[in-house]
Amino acid sequence: MNIVMRKLIAKEFHVNRWIVAGATVGGVLSVLICALGKIGFSVGSLMWMTTIIANGVMLAIYGVMNERKERSMLFVLSLPLSIADYVRAKMLALALCFFIPWLAATVAAVALVLAMPDIPNGLVPYAVLLSVYMLANYLVLLCWTLHVNSEAWISAAIVLTNMCVSIYMFVVGAQPGLQDHIWGPVPVWNQTAWTILAVELCVIALAFTLPFVLAARRRDFV
Amino acid sequence: MTSTKHIEMRGVRKTYPFFTLDDLSLDLEPGQIMGFVGANGAGKSTTIRLAMGFIAPDAGEIRVLGRAIPEAQAAAKRDTGFVSSEMRLLPHTTIGWHMQFIASIYPEWDAPYAETLVKRFNLRPAQGTSGLSQGEQIKALLLLALARRPRLLILDEPTNGLDPVARHEVMSEFMDVLRDDNRSILFSSHNTVDVERISDRITFIDRGRLVDSSDKEDFLERWRRIHVQLPANTALPELPGIVSRVIDGQFVTLTTNTFSEALLALLGNTVRNVQRMSLEEIFVANVIRHREVRGQ
Repeated sequence: MNIVMRKLIAKEFHVNRWIVAGATVGGVLSVLICALGKIGFSVGSLMWMTTIIANGVMLAIYGVMNERKERSMLFVLSLPLSIADYVRAKMLALALCFFIPWLAATVAAVALVLAMPDIPNGLVPYAVLLSVYMLANYLVLLCWTLHVNSEAWISAAIVLTNMCVSIYMFVVGAQPGLQDHIWGPVPVWNQTAWTILAVELCVIALAFTLPFVLAARRRDFV
Repeated sequence: MTSTKHIEMRGVRKTYPFFTLDDLSLDLEPGQIMGFVGANGAGKSTTIRLAMGFIAPDAGEIRVLGRAIPEAQAAAKRDTGFVSSEMRLLPHTTIGWHMQFIASIYPEWDAPYAETLVKRFNLRPAQGTSGLSQGEQIKALLLLALARRPRLLILDEPTNGLDPVARHEVMSEFMDVLRDDNRSILFSSHNTVDVERISDRITFIDRGRLVDSSDKEDFLERWRRIHVQLPANTALPELPGIVSRVIDGQFVTLTTNTFSEALLALLGNTVRNVQRMSLEEIFVANVIRHREVRGQ
């Protein structure tokens, strides 16, 4: 990785510092709210998901779409780097900007489930799968945002990926291999859970790699 | 193409659904300041984006500072400063942050010169970029481009949208920069006054085609408007190099792009007045002639 790419990654953290900090605090705070009884759990878990999703949406909008729309991308592209360098730096930086709050929220959620006697430990696989799904969801959105120029297509992708979270929760939560153990006393990592996790990791690998192959080879970038 | 030219384009074509930049060939020699003049939508920005590697040509070859574009754009851009009126600084940052950012990438960053420019442009490094006016944005972008002392400056309508005072400040800075003989500049604008002030070579572009390219002095020497009064029942003789003629009874106004004493001799004592033309008049006459020739 050359110096310009490193500087661009650092620049992305600087420009998005409030989003990253806000999402990290929000994610941990929402987990703490989950500890405040039954209503707290409902409110906190909703906040937890909203924080992770909102972080992704804001990074896609401010990190890619607005940079293009407000033409600060011309300033970045005037630096000594190729289009491929720009895409690589953008993908790595925005993935990291999401990953930090996401990791904090995920670790906090798992720690809460394991630490709180009122919350069944059987929730851990579901919470992890849901969290990994939201990471995959974000990377798909980011991959799409880097690939298309149209604001309308990006907005459509934001709506679609948001809707998919609800569908995922409904479909995956209803899988017998998971549903049977969610309210159990111990986390059960059975074949269903591992299969879902493997699919999610494949989607993550694909969404993370595609921009390096497709967007980085685009002939026209502005 | 192997040369020491700072910009070299040969047979470049770029096609969009409603616009084609066709068969563009352009040379910018070291130390040269080229004014790139065209109306809105003529293809100036497309040409500049091709030179910067932001878009790739469908045909033809481009080299900037001896590097093939877009393939080797990273190396070419190391020594190229680019400012466009469409460009904006990064949000949620300050001018000072940008100065540090650029200084950390370019070892050639000239901090004392940057400070001089800050004062000269009346900029405040602590000021956030979101509150900057168009003029301040352009001045800050120029500061960032100039203070890293690039060998090549590519300026895409940098004075567009500036108030007269800001435009004067920016143009004065250019005049200072031009004293460096090793630096070349490609300066696009539809404002011929700005271009005439700083350029030593002029290239006209219209509807995606290069219309004419020559030294500024050559343009100003070649183009003339000749007012002629013909005696009654006398026809105008066949004259070479006349690009337009406007007849009003006995009075004829001729526009030529190959003015010479020989031409005046052909017209004899019918000549009433010979006018030098401004660059704007030359540009307009050139474009109209080009469109007529192409049947557009």
